[in-house]
Amino acid sequence: MIEIKNVSQSYGRKEAKKTLSDINLTIRENKITALVGANGAGKSTLLGVLSNITPILSGTVTLGGRDVRKIKTQDVAKKIAFLKQSQQMSIRITVGDLVEFGRFPHCRGRLGQEDKRKVDESLEYMNLPDLRSRYLDELSGGQRQRAFIAMILAQDTPYIFLDEPLNNLDIKYSVEMMKIIQNLVTERNKTIVLVLHDINFAAAYANHIVAMKNGQIVREGCVKDVIKKEVLNTVFDHDFHIAECGGKNVCLYFDQVQN
Amino acid sequence: MKEFFKDNWKRIIIIVLFFGLCITSVMIGSLSGVTPSALISRDETAWDVLLYSRIPRTIAIILSAAGLSVAGLIMQAISRNKFMSPSTSGTTDAAAFGLLLSFIFLSSQPGIIQTIFAFVFALGSTLLFTSVINRLKIREAVYVPLLGMMYGGLISAVTIAVAYRFEVMQMMSAIGMGSFARLGNFTVVYIVAAPLFLSVIYASKFSIIGMGEDFAKNLGLHYNRVVFIGLVIVALISAATYVSVGHLPFIGLIIPNMATSFYGDNIKKSIFDLMIFGADFVLVCDIFSRLIIHPYEISVSLTISLVGGIIFMIYLWRGINGNKSRKTA
Repeated sequence: MIEIKNVSQSYGRKEAKKTLSDINLTIRENKITALVGANGAGKSTLLGVLSNITPILSGTVTLGGRDVRKIKTQDVAKKIAFLKQSQQMSIRITVGDLVEFGRFPHCRGRLGQEDKRKVDESLEYMNLPDLRSRYLDELSGGQRQRAFIAMILAQDTPYIFLDEPLNNLDIKYSVEMMKIIQNLVTERNKTIVLVLHDINFAAAYANHIVAMKNGQIVREGCVKDVIKKEVLNTVFDHDFHIAECGGKNVCLYFDQVQN
Repeated sequence: MKEFFKDNWKRIIIIVLFFGLCITSVMIGSLSGVTPSALISRDETAWDVLLYSRIPRTIAIILSAAGLSVAGLIMQAISRNKFMSPSTSGTTDAAAFGLLLSFIFLSSQPGIIQTIFAFVFALGSTLLFTSVINRLKIREAVYVPLLGMMYGGLISAVTIAVAYRFEVMQMMSAIGMGSFARLGNFTVVYIVAAPLFLSVIYASKFSIIGMGEDFAKNLGLHYNRVVFIGLVIVALISAATYVSVGHLPFIGLIIPNMATSFYGDNIKKSIFDLMIFGADFVLVCDIFSRLIIHPYEISVSLTISLVGGIIFMIYLWRGINGNKSRKTA
């Protein structure tokens, strides 16, 4: 279980400019939690704090009841996998190499039988065996994102944190990616937290939504509690219209739409 | 068997070439008596020349070439910038400055002391330069080596001024001229073997560092520690090669660029290919330098500068144009 208490964080020394202030959050197990909010609301910072990559100013982050800062980084890497937006793409490595990197916390670079099995299995699960020896820069955006997810799977962690996994993906690949993420929760019992830009993807696929503004959590709850006109209007400083379609709430945020 | 050749042909070519070049390198020289037949008939002078002059020279070429290639590759992985190398970040110039100070304060010293001085300055300067570059957050990768060359130019200007003041100009320029013809200090080049060994052990960690800081931290790597070890390796290789064979420009820059375009960026897989590729390149340049005005020879750094300079210009040109086309796209 991951729990954060009274966490504050700021870039630079100015206390006044806090990117996160006094955040309390418990990550729900075996669920998809979506972090939503405007640019600069602190979503990515919060995700970095949760995965022990961004250092915190004050407060505590606990993993299974223990302070993450007291757990060895290598052991944290066996529990939490974190994938950031816009991966460095000028690097020429193959899909297979990338997925093998995922085993690093377990084998420190020397792959054993078990590691090789996990790598093969992850590639299989993400439908990538044919692309194994292809270089990442030769792939389409969707294939590349699948390769990174395969790496995260090979890392074999119960928690997976994704920072804007739909960045640069077209609609078809975005939906495919969200379905994969859903399957990871139902088939593999993973706990997933992700930052999403498109509020409608959060509404359609998340189990739990955390809405952030100015470094604070404005509202969190199930989809029905957060995808509401008055909540979203304050979170995004914008006029929203909520429509219902097939039993799900859809957000319309274009000026032309009239209720 | 056929499969093996098909998968490894790129590797086989450079290894075969490597052995061919090694034999050629050992067999040529101002003394024409060193021939296979003379060696078989146990000609004493031939064996002496081979053991005490030719073979150490060839080993020095291989070690310094492989070392500088690896140093460049590590710098490029750490900075995630294909234009970084010991000679485009002031590292080599700082090593020269350290060497100068060891002369001034301790006068003539064994190579190992000189190397320690050069190493300390190379490491300090590289740490300074990389931390400043990280803070500046330069968007265009091409500007980093240009800044580095200016920075290196500043250091070497100070070096020249100090050397002039203490009247050791001649010796500094003699050392700075990259050449494998000098004996004496060759033992220092064997120091390069230690950081090379370390870089092989750390190869997979450097690959991961090259994927980005967050990526490395996610995999439980101590990012700063690995970067520091990388820079220690770079500084040690730069210092030892500078003290023993002088300045070999462009090797750390162009060899990793050429090698990674053939063998990919997974350092763990490509590090041996890189070393052999670098050795091949310098062996060719050295053999050319020794044959062009036979029985005399020209400085190998002249040949390397000419060939390497042209290749660097091509990469620079492609880097600038590549950025432009991406912007307009």
